[in-house]
Amino acid sequence: MSWKREAFEAAALPFMRALYNTALRLTREPADAADLVQETFLRAYRTFEHFTPGSNCKAWLFTILYSIFTNQYHQAKRRPRMESVEELEERFHQFAHAPEDPASDITTVVGWGSRWSPEVERALRQLPEDFRTPLLLVDVEGLSYEEAASVLGCAVGTVGSRLFRGRKLLFAMLQDYAHQAGYGKDTSPDP
Amino acid sequence: MTDNASHLGATLQDFLDGRLDAARQAEVRAHLEGCAQCRGELEAVRWVRDVALKQLPTQDVPPALAARVAAALNAAHEQTERAGGRTVGRRWGRWAGAGALLAAAAVAFLLVVKPGEGGATLPEAAARDFTAYRDGTLPLALHTSDGAAVEALFVSAGLPFTTRVFDLGMMHYQLQGGLVHRLRGRPSALYVYRGPEGSEVVCQMFPGRLAELPRTADVREHDGIAFHVYRVEGVTLVFWQEGGVVCVLASDAESEAVIRLAYAKAVRV
Repeated sequence: MSWKREAFEAAALPFMRALYNTALRLTREPADAADLVQETFLRAYRTFEHFTPGSNCKAWLFTILYSIFTNQYHQAKRRPRMESVEELEERFHQFAHAPEDPASDITTVVGWGSRWSPEVERALRQLPEDFRTPLLLVDVEGLSYEEAASVLGCAVGTVGSRLFRGRKLLFAMLQDYAHQAGYGKDTSPDP
Repeated sequence: MTDNASHLGATLQDFLDGRLDAARQAEVRAHLEGCAQCRGELEAVRWVRDVALKQLPTQDVPPALAARVAAALNAAHEQTERAGGRTVGRRWGRWAGAGALLAAAAVAFLLVVKPGEGGATLPEAAARDFTAYRDGTLPLALHTSDGAAVEALFVSAGLPFTTRVFDLGMMHYQLQGGLVHRLRGRPSALYVYRGPEGSEVVCQMFPGRLAELPRTADVREHDGIAFHVYRVEGVTLVFWQEGGVVCVLASDAESEAVIRLAYAKAVRV
């Protein structure tokens, strides 16, 4: 096996699972996700000379994946959303203006991290792509704002604002679910 | 502290994600103590980040996909090997039929061409850079629409020539950002615009002379400046000289539109 192939496999293949899961959430179709991941690795291998050793290989691979996705998939596969962004933002606004209402109490609950939630997956898939992708890159895959900006080809500030709106929209979609799950109240000011 | 004007808005997220300095963090904490609305918003976005999105199921990679990726990499590797073998064969064939002078020139050529560039001409290399950017394999180092910020990037990198990031706003092209790059082994200031209907233009400035370019039948003159035009695999490239620097625009947009952009922005030095 050549040095290039060995170096590529060592650097890139460990991220196949992360790429596949993100591709699934972008394309919403397992067959499309598999095609997208295969094309990502192929293109990355052919241009491995452009990758700077020591830099973040995961962010580089996501840059390629997202570029292929935007060029080949999302125009053809875009689907209607269940609820408009404006309606969701209004719902979040109402929540934020009634913080003392017990129905609006929300909290972080230790021990919920391992719970599998089809509701969250469903809500995420309904988010407009502009907001969904920063959430996937930063909150799910752990990329920094700067790395996500490089993947998306936009300014760091744009990542921050889309992330903020995306988090609020997702909360508005999941508010009923959160309350049904019996969350208590905890408003610790620590980040 | 409950009126709209005093609420924290997006600063809450900067606080949550640790993007504030210590003094600003302290201010936010003090505000949160007295503002139930901001506490509620903070907890909502925190819940999404730390609880909801941690509940997402993770799918295993299907074994068939791993096998497909391995097969695709094998095929790409073999294709590269075959292409490399053919190139070497052609070179040896030429050397066998030429004199010692030609052989020496060929060795010198192979020594100066950077591995991986495959002996590409400047138009081929610039076209390859355009394709790499468009396909996402050549990411920018700085994303901004501020031309001065991109020029500052080039200055801070110590590029040995003065750069000029054009303003193409009048032509409806917006600057996307820049990258300190290398074009056939020489330092290059690379910056990108996105135009109407998403068309992209990759610009590079590098030290050199137009005489280094291969011959082209398409040489134009506009306002006393010579423009050398090439077309490489669907990419139009327009080169011109500004002092000791060569400028090139590369794009897969309509050829004459790319040439008009070059006319609009070239400066006689």
